[in-house]
Amino acid sequence: MSEPLAVTAPLAGRLSLFRRRGTLAVGVFLLGAFIVLALGAPLIAPYDPIAQDAAARLQGPSWLHPFGTDNFGRDILSRVIWGTRIDLQIAIIGVLFPFIIGTTLGTVAGFFGGIVDAIFMRLVDIILAFPFLVLMLSIIAILGPGLGSFYIAMALVGWVSYARLIRAQMLALKNHDYAVAAVSLGFSRTRIMFRHLLPNAAAGSIVFAMSDAVLVLLSGAAISYLGLGVQPPIAEWGVMVAEGQPFVTTAWWITLFPGLSIVTLAFAFSMIGDGLADLFGVHE
Amino acid sequence: MSAPLLAITDLTVVHDGDAGTRALLDAVSLDLAQGEVLGLVGESGSGKSLLCRSLVRLLPSSRLRIAGGSVKLAGHELTDAPESVMLKVRGGEIGMIFQNPTSHLDPVMRIGDQVAEGIRFHQGLDARAARAAATDVLAQVGFSDPARQYDSYPHEFSGGMRQRAMIAAALSCDPKILIADEPTTALDVTIQAQILRLLMDIRAKRGLSVILITHDLGIVAQVCDRIAVMRHGRVVEVGEKRGLLAAPSHAYTRSLIASHPSLPEEEAAPKAEKLQMPGAVPVVDIEKLHVRFASGGLFKRSSVNAVDGVTLRVMPGETVGIVGESGSGKSTLARAVLGLTPVSSGAIRFDGNDITSGRAALATLRRETAMVFQDPFNALNPRMTIGQMLAEVLRVQGKIESARIPARCGELLDLVGLGREFLDRKPRSMSGGQCQRAGIARALAVDPKLIIADECVAALDVTIQAQIVELFRGLAERMSLTLIFIAHDLAIVRNLCQRVVVMHRGAIVEEGRSEDVFSRPRHAYTAALVAAVPHIDPDKPLLAPPKMATAYAHAAAN
Repeated sequence: MSEPLAVTAPLAGRLSLFRRRGTLAVGVFLLGAFIVLALGAPLIAPYDPIAQDAAARLQGPSWLHPFGTDNFGRDILSRVIWGTRIDLQIAIIGVLFPFIIGTTLGTVAGFFGGIVDAIFMRLVDIILAFPFLVLMLSIIAILGPGLGSFYIAMALVGWVSYARLIRAQMLALKNHDYAVAAVSLGFSRTRIMFRHLLPNAAAGSIVFAMSDAVLVLLSGAAISYLGLGVQPPIAEWGVMVAEGQPFVTTAWWITLFPGLSIVTLAFAFSMIGDGLADLFGVHE
Repeated sequence: MSAPLLAITDLTVVHDGDAGTRALLDAVSLDLAQGEVLGLVGESGSGKSLLCRSLVRLLPSSRLRIAGGSVKLAGHELTDAPESVMLKVRGGEIGMIFQNPTSHLDPVMRIGDQVAEGIRFHQGLDARAARAAATDVLAQVGFSDPARQYDSYPHEFSGGMRQRAMIAAALSCDPKILIADEPTTALDVTIQAQILRLLMDIRAKRGLSVILITHDLGIVAQVCDRIAVMRHGRVVEVGEKRGLLAAPSHAYTRSLIASHPSLPEEEAAPKAEKLQMPGAVPVVDIEKLHVRFASGGLFKRSSVNAVDGVTLRVMPGETVGIVGESGSGKSTLARAVLGLTPVSSGAIRFDGNDITSGRAALATLRRETAMVFQDPFNALNPRMTIGQMLAEVLRVQGKIESARIPARCGELLDLVGLGREFLDRKPRSMSGGQCQRAGIARALAVDPKLIIADECVAALDVTIQAQIVELFRGLAERMSLTLIFIAHDLAIVRNLCQRVVVMHRGAIVEEGRSEDVFSRPRHAYTAALVAAVPHIDPDKPLLAPPKMATAYAHAAAN
C-alpha cells in the first residue's frame, strides 16, 4: 500500500486533549462527590436532618454545627447532605424522561418526515406556545403537589427541546451516503434510525442534557420554593432556601449553604456538558 | 535570459502546532518568466495551494508562518513587505482564481460590481468609468451581452460562466501574474476545455504569466510551458513540459504519469470479445425508464426529467460504464436501479423480476446488489469500526452462519487489499483511498451479483484512482461480478469498461463497445466529450475539436 497512514496524535496534541478533558474531569469529580454524599448520607451526616432541637435554634456556624442550625434547631449540614439525595434525583429523573421521549420522537419525525413530522412538530409548537413555568405549574396544580407530579410535568413539557435538536440532525444525516448505503444493504428502518443515525445525531442533545440538568435542578428548586414540589419537613435545597428566607438578614447561613450546593451541582453538570461537547467535537 | 518576473527562493512555511514546528513548504525554489504558464502538479496535501497563498501572504491559518526564503516580484521582496504594499500586490500585481466559483463570488452582489470593485480600488476610477472598464473585461472573458449581464447575480449563471466572471474579476486590475488554483476541477470537461482555451487566449493577448495548479497532468500537458511537480511540501522536479513528460527523472513523477488515465490510441481491429451466452437473462433490464422530480414552489409546480426514457440491458459479468456531464442523470439512473429513487414510469427488471412490483422484489434486490459511493468518508458511518460495519452487513444479510462472520470480515479485507488491523479502525483515522477500499469491502460483503459504483474515484488522487480502478478490474474478473461504473472521467471508463453508455440530459445518446464509442463516436455530444479530454501528450491539442463538437459544446454550455 502506498497510501500514507493517518498520523497518530503527537505528545503535545495529547496534552491539549487532556487539558480539554480537564473540564470534564472536574465535572465528573464534583458529581461523583455529590453521589457519594447522597449514597452515604446516613453515615456522613452528623445529625438527623429532621430532628428538631429547641435549645439550639438559629445558631451560626460552629464546630458543633459547621453550617449552623435553622429556626427549628435542625443541623443545616445534615440537611444539605440529605438534600443531595432529593436534588440529584430531581436532576437525573427530570432530564432522563424528557431525553428519552424527545430523542425517540425527534428521531422518528426527522427520519420519516412528511405527515409524521408535521404532526409531531405542530405538537411541539403548541407546547412551546406556553411559557415553560406556567405550563409546569398548571400541570402540577392539576396532578397535585409532590415530586411525582413534578417529574410527570417535566416529561410532558421538557421533551420538545430534545425532539427539535434530534429532528434537525436526522434531517441532515438521513441524506448522508452511509444512510443511503444502509438502505441499499437491506437494513431495516429501525436499525438505520437507531443504530446508524441516532448515535451520530445524539452528541448535541447529550451535551444539551447536561445544561438542561442545571435548568431542571433550578426549576425543581423553584417549584419546591413555591410549595408545589418537595413537602416539608423533607430536606431539599430549594425548600431550605424558601424556609430560610424570612431569616436571611439575621441567619444568613440557612439560605447560603443550600444555595451554594445548588450552584455547585449546577456547575458540575455544566462542566460535564462542556467537556462532552469538546469530546464529541460538537463545536467543530 | 532576463530576470524572471517572479523568483521564489528557498521559501519555507512552517506550522506551529502543539507538537512543535512542522515544515509544510520545505525550501521551495521556483521561477516564473514573463508570459510563461507554469503548471504545479501533485497530490492533495502536497502544498501546491499553500505555495500560491504564501506568495501573496494569505496563509489559511494563524498558526502558519513564513519561516525563511524570499519571494521577489520584479525584483521587489514580498516576504517582508508592509501590509499596505501587499494590498496593492494582491489583485493589482497577482490575481487569483479558485476551484469553486460559487463559493468565491458574493451571491448578493451583481457580477459586474464584483468585477468593478477591484478596478475602483486599484485604479481609482469613478463608478461610471469602472463600470465601463468592467463591462469591457466581461466581454473579453466571453460574456455575450456584458452590458446587460453586468447587472445579473451569480446564481443566474452556469458554473462555467461563473468561472469566467471570476477570471474577469481577477483580470480587471490588469495583474502581471494570474494564479489559477484548480480552476476547472469543478467543471465538466467540455466547459473545462472552454475555460482553458480562454486562459490561453488571455495569456496570448496580454502577455500574462500564469501559475496553474492542477492534479490533472492532461491539463498541464496541454496548457503549460513548464511543469513543477510537488510532493510533501517540496518541489521534486521542475522542467520544460515535453522533456519532463517524456523523460521524468524523479520516481514520483514517473508514478504520476503512469497513473494518469489516458484515452489510448485506438486500434482498428476489434479484439476478440467475451462470448455472451445466447438467451441469458440480463442482470439489469431497464425499459423506457422515466424519473421525474417535482420542482418549483407551491403555485408554480413543474417537474424535471432527471431520467428521460432510458432503455438499457446489462448482461451477467459485464462491466458497463456510464459517462456524461453533471446533471445528465447518471446518478439518478443508478439510484433508480437500486430502488433508492421512486420511478415515474417504465420498468426495471433485476434478474427478470420487476423491482417496482413490491416489497418482496425490493428485498431480493437488496440481497443481490450493492453500491460504492463517491465520497469515501461520507459513505461510512463515522462511529463504527470497519469490522463492526462488515459484521453488521453479514449478519443482516444472513447468507453465512454467524460463527463464520469474523473470518469472513478478514477475507473481505484481503480481497480489497487492506490489512487485518483495519478491522479495529474507524474511518476518521484512515485515508480516502483506504476508506474507499473499506466501502468496496462493504459492497462485497453482500456477495452481490451487481455492484454500482457512482463516481467512486472522483474524490481521490490519481495514484490512488489507478489503484482503485485496478482493484475493480481484478474483482470483476475473479468474482464474475457485474459492474456498472459511473464516472465523468472518460479515460477511466475507457480503461475499465467493455461497454460504455453516454448520457446527456437524462437520455442515452450513444452506447456501444468502449473502443468503438471513444474512437469513432457517432453522436456529436460524445465527440465533444472525447475531444475535450486533455491529452497527456502535448502534441495532441485539445484546442481543436471537430467543428460539430464545438457547436454542440456551446449549445450545452448555454
